[in-house]
Amino acid sequence: MDKLWAIFAREYVERVRSRWFIASTLFAPLILGSVIFLPPWLASQSKPSADVARIVIVDATGTSLGRRVAAHLNGGITGDTTRTQVRTVAPAQLAAAESLATADILSHRVRGTLVLDAGTVAGVQARYAGTNATAANDMAAIRDAVRQEVLALRLEQAGVSPSDAATLTRLDVKLVANRVTESGQSGRGDVNLLFAFAIAIVLYLSIFIYGQNVMRGVLEEKQSRVAEVVVSSVPATRLLQGKVLGVGAVGLTQIVLWLGGSFLLFEHRSTILEMLGLTSIDLAIPALSLRLGVFLVLYFLLGYLFYAALFAAVGALVSSEQEAQQVQLPVALLLVTSALFIQPILIAPEGTVARTISWIPFAAPIAMPLRLSVAPISGAQLAGSLLALAASCYVAIWIAARIYRVGLLMYGKRPAWREIRRWVWYSE
Amino acid sequence: MTPLAVELQHVVKRFRHHVAVDDLSLAVPVGTVYGLLGPNGAGKTSTIRMLLNIIAPDAGRIAILGAAPSQPGILDRVGYLPEERGLYRTMRVRDVLRFLARLKGLRRDTADARIERWLERLELRGNGIDWGRARVDELSRGMQQKVQFIGTLLHDPELVILDEPFSGLDPVNAQVLKDSVVELARRGKTVLFSTHVMDNAERMCDAVCIVAGGRAIRDGTVASLKEAHGGRHVELTLLADAGDAGVATMAVLSDRTLVERVDDYGRSMSVELRAGADAQQLLRHLVDAGAQIERFEMVRPSLRRIFLDAVGAAGTAPEMSGHG
Repeated sequence: MDKLWAIFAREYVERVRSRWFIASTLFAPLILGSVIFLPPWLASQSKPSADVARIVIVDATGTSLGRRVAAHLNGGITGDTTRTQVRTVAPAQLAAAESLATADILSHRVRGTLVLDAGTVAGVQARYAGTNATAANDMAAIRDAVRQEVLALRLEQAGVSPSDAATLTRLDVKLVANRVTESGQSGRGDVNLLFAFAIAIVLYLSIFIYGQNVMRGVLEEKQSRVAEVVVSSVPATRLLQGKVLGVGAVGLTQIVLWLGGSFLLFEHRSTILEMLGLTSIDLAIPALSLRLGVFLVLYFLLGYLFYAALFAAVGALVSSEQEAQQVQLPVALLLVTSALFIQPILIAPEGTVARTISWIPFAAPIAMPLRLSVAPISGAQLAGSLLALAASCYVAIWIAARIYRVGLLMYGKRPAWREIRRWVWYSE
Repeated sequence: MTPLAVELQHVVKRFRHHVAVDDLSLAVPVGTVYGLLGPNGAGKTSTIRMLLNIIAPDAGRIAILGAAPSQPGILDRVGYLPEERGLYRTMRVRDVLRFLARLKGLRRDTADARIERWLERLELRGNGIDWGRARVDELSRGMQQKVQFIGTLLHDPELVILDEPFSGLDPVNAQVLKDSVVELARRGKTVLFSTHVMDNAERMCDAVCIVAGGRAIRDGTVASLKEAHGGRHVELTLLADAGDAGVATMAVLSDRTLVERVDDYGRSMSVELRAGADAQQLLRHLVDAGAQIERFEMVRPSLRRIFLDAVGAAGTAPEMSGHG
């Protein structure tokens, strides 16, 4: 036990001390930080330009639409409309007026030309040409102004009083969608989806990265021939146990730090936003329930064990990093395949596909936590999926330990499948 | 009867395409320096790995320090230096040594004190320099070998197993290793090492076992092997500038009535006399031929000679690596 602890501690301490670990641990809260702090910052940046109204409106509608739009762009009827030139023309003169306006743009007197014609009043289209045609916020401001004024004009033409028309057209409905779970309302649907997706990706990456870490560790010990020194003191399987547990503990540490860091960042977001001089926006990140947290850790551990065992076997089978890249492909493919199921599961978390995948051991570690974070999952399904996964872990570890024990001291030519089969069935 | 540090009885180890160890029996008494000699591929490393419970024998019985190698705790009393040295490259020297010590069940404070003593003794610390703080990959190859050697001896093992300890060592480190083995022997420890460097084996070993093709073909004390090998040998050294006498000298040495064979190193030769031939007569013939003799000494056969004869007789082509 003391020796297992020594191996475990070495794996853990050497890895946690590394620059790579520190950098990647800081990385995730940085991403979350940007999710929290970037939108308010972007919002503060996303206003139409101050001179969006410095345009020529060529009005060939024969109505007051040009003047209305000009007033709208300049802050309503009371606004200063001197920045916007409205040129009322007959439809026949439209082309000439447009070329004149283009000349104004080219000489930088105005930013653009808005052309309103019969089609605009009919609700089909208006045309804009200008230096800021690609600025989304400017275009949105102009589009909104035209839409509302066309609507108001048509309401007035239908007999609605101008003041009523103004009230009726000034609408700004936002759709806020909230997801409902068994425990009650739990945050906005889109944010929830993003959160589930983030969980799946974190699990996928952690299992992949730490599984590969085990493979590299085995290969390093094999290449540097430390393995022989160590197995002259402890059985090879003990070395494997210590390594897998040590690396797994590093992964767990990182996930806990990620969750903890993200939680703290989220809890104190208002203070931090204030310090940055930004106003908080409503961002309801779903509360991470204890149940979800526990299952998240459980699935990470089992998934990691399953893949780490397979990756360890790969490390013991090969003699160089290049070979490892080739031989790990089947293992990596299993993991990548399970990541491919993320989208189908998000679309229908309670559908047949999602339910079937939860039973497949190599995909369950990612599929199940993903489903858990978006849909209610029955206890029976959870227990079944966990049992299947645990049984597969046992088999994977059993096979890997046998391959590891023999492969660790084999150098040179890579064994053929038949040879590997012999290693697995060979017993002492 | 002296207790045995290592005992092998009819041990067999088969791999897929060959038999690495074939009915090998060995007995190494406690307190001896024992050499396992053999050409490459003779089964030395497989034998050592079985002693250390790294691989299991297919047949036969193995005991180290009176117990099966798989018995818990028994390997804590054994120190092992593998042929292919290996340390964690990115770890600091002290951390590696501490780790190796803990694998042998040593307490941390005991380990730390010993590490300091060894670092000083092998000149890895002192005069303001402390290589214990350095990472392993910052060390020269020679220094890494010293660290590996410390790792082998840190827990003060009763039995020390060294696989080809002299391969790849520079003369300074070879000297350090030899001194340490001698000191271990003086302190009553048992040292078992495999080698194909016969000079070292001849000088350091109390007893040896020559293996070829996985079998023991000779074993016993160095003196008894020489006795049993028989034959009379002359170590002959000529002065550098032999002049015209060179051809005549070689003619004398080719005389099959006197000389069985000559192992020629250029200026010095190892001459095996034919049965019944008279050494004095050979000496006279050489002087008559004008040979400028620096040394003419009757000796017993060298371990190298015994090794070559034994391995040759066993039908195994010895793959000597030029060490002699």
